[in-house]
Amino acid sequence: MASLITCPHCGTRPKEEFSIRGAAAPKRPAPAAKDEVWHRYVYVRDNPKGRVLEYWHHVAGCRRWLVVDRDNFTHEVFGVMDASDFERVRGVE
Amino acid sequence: MPINLLHRHVLEDHISGFETNANPNHLSVIRRPVIFSVLAHAGYEAAVAEALHNADDIASRYCSPSEFLAVSQTRGAGSVAEFLTAIPGASFVNQSDGFVLMAISGPSVRAILSKCLAVDLHPDTFGEGHSAAMMCCHVAANVARTGRNTFELLVPRSFAGSVFDELMEAGSAHALTRGFAD
Ligand SMILES: [Zn+2]
Repeated sequence: MASLITCPHCGTRPKEEFSIRGAAAPKRPAPAAKDEVWHRYVYVRDNPKGRVLEYWHHVAGCRRWLVVDRDNFTHEVFGVMDASDFERVRGVE
Repeated sequence: MPINLLHRHVLEDHISGFETNANPNHLSVIRRPVIFSVLAHAGYEAAVAEALHNADDIASRYCSPSEFLAVSQTRGAGSVAEFLTAIPGASFVNQSDGFVLMAISGPSVRAILSKCLAVDLHPDTFGEGHSAAMMCCHVAANVARTGRNTFELLVPRSFAGSVFDELMEAGSAHALTRGFAD
């Protein structure tokens, strides 16, 4: 487990301050999307080993949602950004 | 009307007994500070932060890019609310009863706090005037450096007793004393 996360708002913090809230890569479907699409989004998830994007909630700090880009095998952290910036960058692509 | 019960501080039972003189390392509990939570509307974050920073007798505590705590030990709640109303793009709510304000100071303050929190408090990274939300004694607190060897802690009222006890334990090796500020 990556033990130190550098929050863009608070600085370097121990992982105990955060709550991990799941994969950030799957895109949430539109509210009126087909049931199959929602089923896939909610229940059918990959379980990758290696580099992952995850939502981390900085519960004991700024209480912002962050997206942590890390390797769940080597524990290396590649980057941390605010979830709103993540969505903005993803929306542009 | 038991008015004195209304004004009873939550740490009253933790600071009972006879008062000793303050040692160089001292933890003081501010009895009735005025604390407002301030939220900046989207697009107004920098303006609200600056208005709070420039306020007279109000200390601004950083929580997140759009959230601050406005703390005053001298102004009344009405006066602070009046000031906050005048800031464009800010919403606020009085949290004075929801937080406990403590000030810890002395030559060993960093050694004591290093047992309670996992953030580097070296002046190069956490300088005077700096404040941030962080875990302190397992509680989500706001920590501010108000002087070279002085820090102020804001903790949620219901956790204040536990944080206070842990701080005193961490400070026992440094002869930390405690008392109300007045
Ligand atoms: Zn943070």
